[in-house]
Amino acid sequence: MTIAKVAAPTATTKPPAIRRQRRQRPLWMLAPGGVLILVVIVVPLLVALWISLLDLDQYTIREWVHAPFLGVKNYVEAVTDSDLLHSVWLSVFYAVLVTVVTTPIGIAAALATQQAFRGRGLVRSVFLIPYVLPAFVVGTIWRTILLPDGFANQTLGHVGIHPGLWLNGPKSFWALVLVQIWASWPLIYLLALAGLQSVDPDVHEAAALDGADWWSKLWHIIAPYLRGPVGLAMIIAFLHNVNNFTLPFVLFGVPAPHDVEVLPVLTYVESFQNFRFGLSAAMAVCSLVLVAIPIIAYLRAVRLDTGDKHE
Amino acid sequence: MNKEVNRLLPRPLQVAVLVLLVAFVGGPVLYMVLASINSDLGVAAGEFFPRTFEPANYVRIWSTADLGKGLANSLLVAGVTALACGLASVSTAYVLVRYKFLGRLTILRGLLALQSIPGTLLLLPVFVLYASLANILEITIIGTRWALFITYLTFALPFATWVMVTYLRGLPRELDEAARVDGASSWRILTRIVVPLSWPGLVVACIFAFLLGWNDVLFASVLTNPDTRTAAVALQVFGSQQEGGAIPVYGQLMAAALICAIPVVVLYLAFQRFLVSGLTAGGVK
Repeated sequence: MTIAKVAAPTATTKPPAIRRQRRQRPLWMLAPGGVLILVVIVVPLLVALWISLLDLDQYTIREWVHAPFLGVKNYVEAVTDSDLLHSVWLSVFYAVLVTVVTTPIGIAAALATQQAFRGRGLVRSVFLIPYVLPAFVVGTIWRTILLPDGFANQTLGHVGIHPGLWLNGPKSFWALVLVQIWASWPLIYLLALAGLQSVDPDVHEAAALDGADWWSKLWHIIAPYLRGPVGLAMIIAFLHNVNNFTLPFVLFGVPAPHDVEVLPVLTYVESFQNFRFGLSAAMAVCSLVLVAIPIIAYLRAVRLDTGDKHE
Repeated sequence: MNKEVNRLLPRPLQVAVLVLLVAFVGGPVLYMVLASINSDLGVAAGEFFPRTFEPANYVRIWSTADLGKGLANSLLVAGVTALACGLASVSTAYVLVRYKFLGRLTILRGLLALQSIPGTLLLLPVFVLYASLANILEITIIGTRWALFITYLTFALPFATWVMVTYLRGLPRELDEAARVDGASSWRILTRIVVPLSWPGLVVACIFAFLLGWNDVLFASVLTNPDTRTAAVALQVFGSQQEGGAIPVYGQLMAAALICAIPVVVLYLAFQRFLVSGLTAGGVK
């Protein structure tokens, strides 16, 4: 009886309140960002799909709307008669390799700096340097280090190893992997650190009381806290690696050596060196397919509405 | 003793990891600093510690490379992008967090997905669209700083908005509801209540946008001309000129690289605390 009495007024007063709130929703504030994203991202995405079906080169680009329609011919050429598959393989191999190598480095760094010690702040700052330096600066430094007579080869020469060229030929791939590892491991470190900070302090006490050795404590107690953030970090790292244009571009220039012709570089060269715009767009669309799976995994891993349980 | 309880790695292993990683990171960074004051020949010969010091690299670089103009362009474009992005992201995020409407979740999902679209996919159509728009409106777009500004602002928005969404969720709803009861307009609530309370998040969003503009090479290499070139493109062009040149000026190149890194490092040092927590909250670089 009392419940009904209390419930009845709310039932009658709620609709006008909602209506008032609805009228006041400042949805116009979404407009500036929305228009920009529409014009500079969504429309170009559709234009890219359209261009990939056209025979577009430097002669037809002025009147690109009227360029001859080719259908899927660009895709056929990209798959059968271009370096696309080679580039896809390179990109995936390189991205997976870098992700797999940086993951233990990042976790180890997070584990080693979790506990307070003198100078920890300094060490943490140093760890973030590669992450903070712009990729074009990182590329310029390493390009100089890896010169034929540069610091790397001189040092290796002292111990009797003469690796030869790093910036050209088959070793260029390993140069790219090495530099990207150097530049990208702090991302994993940051997210692993965030995971460690969520560990309940009592857990440490409990593990110490149980007399667990460090490895089983790590494996059975700490690892579950890390799985989520590190998994997320690996997806993001893979996406960054696959989409990375700046580092190979600055390290090797264009046209890139065949061994480091990763997908972004190939797409760029096909557009702005060979002026085969239609073919290049087809390749770019293929790269979208490549990142689609990790993007979907990423969307599932990130909770869209954290802390908003009334959805 | 209490400290030992929190230990995750045995001490020798911990020390080994720290020493190795500090050397791995510090080596190339120290190399850059030393090479920037080394003679060009010394760098070309692979010296780590300079035999002859050439601090004059830092004077000469301004005349050998187009660095001054590049830095000015970068500062202008990235700076304006950062401010505009901060404003746009906080208002977008505010609406997304505080109001329920159709398509809200789709927008949130879109914000995350858009960050991962390869830039190389958008470069060509963006170029073509700007060229067509310029033709229709009879203005120049490509080659101007406006082209870079619009492009960077848009690419920075999804992540910046996401950072602000995660930040604004943590703010108590009661504050702006109280202001609304007092009759304040949405714009007033945003500028007088939300922005002052959320500035640590805003700093992260702005700095992210600044870094995006500062670090980009892909779009800047196509959308600029020699007058509007950013520092990133100026350094890249200068670096590739050293190949096949008679006397490569590697010492000056390293000095130029260091100069290009300084604004970024200063920003990072100044806002380190916010940046680390903000970036991990957003989950992305």
